Amino acid sequence: MVSDNRISKVQELIYEIGVGEVMQTDLVTVDPRTPMSQLRAILREKRISGTPVVDGDKLVGIISIEDFIRWLADREEDCPIAEKMSKDVCTIYADEPLTQAVNVFQRFGYGRLAVVDRQDKRLLGIITKGDIVRGLLNKLEIHHVAEEEVYRHRVKHFFEDILADKVVLLFQYNVVGQNFTRAGEGASRLKATLQRLGLHPQIVRRVSIATYEAEMNLIIYTDGGSIRVRVEPNEIFVVVKDLGPGIPDIEKVMQPGYSTAPEWVRELGFGAGMGLCNIKKCATKMELKSTVGKGTQLNIRISVDNEAKSEDS
Amino acid sequence: MTIAEIAKILEAEVIVGSDLLNEEIKMGCGSDLMSDVLSFVKSEAILLTGLTNPQVVRTAEMADLAAICFVRGKKPGDETIRLAESKNIPLLTTPLPMFESCGRLWREGLAGCSEHKKSNT
Amino acid sequence: MKIAEIVQELNLAVWAAKASLDRGVTGGYASDLLSDVLANSKEGNLWITLQIHQNIVGVASMKGLAGIILVNGREPERETVEKAETENIPLMVSEMPAFELVGRLYNLGVGGT
Repeated sequence: MVSDNRISKVQELIYEIGVGEVMQTDLVTVDPRTPMSQLRAILREKRISGTPVVDGDKLVGIISIEDFIRWLADREEDCPIAEKMSKDVCTIYADEPLTQAVNVFQRFGYGRLAVVDRQDKRLLGIITKGDIVRGLLNKLEIHHVAEEEVYRHRVKHFFEDILADKVVLLFQYNVVGQNFTRAGEGASRLKATLQRLGLHPQIVRRVSIATYEAEMNLIIYTDGGSIRVRVEPNEIFVVVKDLGPGIPDIEKVMQPGYSTAPEWVRELGFGAGMGLCNIKKCATKMELKSTVGKGTQLNIRISVDNEAKSEDS
Repeated sequence: MTIAEIAKILEAEVIVGSDLLNEEIKMGCGSDLMSDVLSFVKSEAILLTGLTNPQVVRTAEMADLAAICFVRGKKPGDETIRLAESKNIPLLTTPLPMFESCGRLWREGLAGCSEHKKSNT
Repeated sequence: MKIAEIVQELNLAVWAAKASLDRGVTGGYASDLLSDVLANSKEGNLWITLQIHQNIVGVASMKGLAGIILVNGREPERETVEKAETENIPLMVSEMPAFELVGRLYNLGVGGT
């Protein structure tokens, strides 16, 4: 999904990135003294349709399959490639921005451009449209990762700036009941937040799974509710609350496999009566309180010290 | 086993994540019950399932799964695809039924989640 | 291949219809969606599932399946066991997850297509 800010990011990047950063550098070149008769074997072996002609490390021309065919058709005698190559080669400097390469491609319709050094005109590489696209995508990916790092960095600083003996963070996520397609958005946002806080991945996983199951329960069985998460240095405390209908027999719902879920929920992969067991498995401590007609409260405590209680349990 | 190898064994089409084909998959799991997946499956596993709703991707996101493969030629809807793209979770689809898919992958050496001894981070 | 051989090879616990273990198996079907099993399983298939409620017996009997193996050590509900006994559907439990159990069945020659 490409959002608007990604598009403007691409516009920035084609000015920022230099041709030298995305070009191909493992080049096949030929010497101008190579006989034309050998050209076909070279092109076929390397599966290319044309290649730069380089004398020493200086670009002197470009020879393509078309030049070869013309030479064949004219039934001329064998001669050095230098005589048949096109000497008028369109080049681009490695330090020019991608936008320059895009312009040249658009204007002349070339498939590839030779990239040379601005000072000594040495051939450095070749650039195609595909290289530009690949280069942009890579940069976007790196930017994306970098953005996440910036967030983490900011969160760390935020903590250092707080002067207190103990810091407690509180997040709340509101869950709309019966809305199956949006189910899990709360748990998903919580997960991203905990990752930014730099918590241990196993702790993040356990909190996410427990919260997601609890969120599913709110969606399947209630008209919605709230998930409150209190993050302390050594414990994460999740409180899930709803306003009804309430659970008549708590002991029964804690049994693995017990479920009152309608068939449509089962066909979607939930409601098999394992959610609460699952939450219990992820939690260091779990409490379930409910009053029929009033509502249900589920408390999930996950202690942060005890990293050993992982998914092996 | 890489995602590319799995796709080959299962004659599967890659719907999301063609740039992640070299990612290593350590374990396999076949299930249509998401709570079961959340409870038993370890991270870095591929989930084989007959369900294609967005919650399958959510489940993979929460449990840090490495990829999802839909069986019996099931194709996910746009919403599922969009979610998988935004969470960077590869999606595959195979024409094979669940039984055949699990059987082939296990025979080719992909471990199940209870067999994979070394727990990962 | 007969169910009895599979029970022995894979160390399955038999919960119902012990008398019908000499039944032959035509192939395997793995699914936790009843509608899928109703639509796509074939007669004589051995069904691998996590579902434990009694509807699974109804589905198995309707489709003429050879038997049901519950995975991950899931214990069937009492009604499920009773129904399997009356309907004569062998009901087994394996400690293994579906993926591994299917892998082993596949290696024993139980096909999946």
